[in-house]
Amino acid sequence: MNAARLSPTTSGFALAAAVTVLFSTVVACVKDANAPFKAFMKSLTDHDWTTQGLADVLLFVTLGLIFTRLKVAPGHLTAILIASVVAASLGLGLWYALY
Amino acid sequence: MADVLLLAHAALGVLGSIAAVWVFVEALNARPENAERTRIAAMLAAVPMIGAWICGGYWYVHFYPREKALILAGPWPFAHNLFMETKEHLFFVTLILALLLPIVVREPLYSNAAARKMVLSVAGLIGLTGLALEGAGAVIDHGVKVALLKR
Repeated sequence: MNAARLSPTTSGFALAAAVTVLFSTVVACVKDANAPFKAFMKSLTDHDWTTQGLADVLLFVTLGLIFTRLKVAPGHLTAILIASVVAASLGLGLWYALY
Repeated sequence: MADVLLLAHAALGVLGSIAAVWVFVEALNARPENAERTRIAAMLAAVPMIGAWICGGYWYVHFYPREKALILAGPWPFAHNLFMETKEHLFFVTLILALLLPIVVREPLYSNAAARKMVLSVAGLIGLTGLALEGAGAVIDHGVKVALLKR
């Protein structure tokens, strides 16, 4: 088995996933701390959670298509993805435990 | 209607998580012979997660507010304040990973160590976050139960 590179599609969407996960976490915290922002999100689809979900998926697809042009080392990419998921999970848990 | 949606949400989430674990095992034993099976398993992780999002989302927006009021007035308000709040946002992490999985398994895992590590990571994270979401769902459900028992 060789230590081959990842295809541009895999690299792009993996990086997009890492960014989207962090974006979603930040949005979750900001909308709780900022009532006007939460109201704005609610006004778009009737519920802030629905808006957030749609924005996450849209961002993931858009960034994935854009990031296919970037070149990131596969090892770094996997580490970035794991780190972003761990940061998001702990961040959300801590935010709601302390907020 | 509300109960069907809630149970479908939980069942689809479990199905997607189990399929992600299936992908993990296939990736551990990646060979040309199981490449197609791995891709099918990845789709079986992604599609139920989308279904869990739709069913759970509809239930959360239209039916959860009554249960939320019960929980907050009951002895376990943290079932909403901590567990539901974390769950409803952590779900997006699992969803994005589930959407990523079918893309990553298109790589030849049997000959590409980097892709295999990526698939093991994504599938493992779906399994772990999926378990956390199911556990949080149980706590939320119990929050409603103890609130009703206290009435």
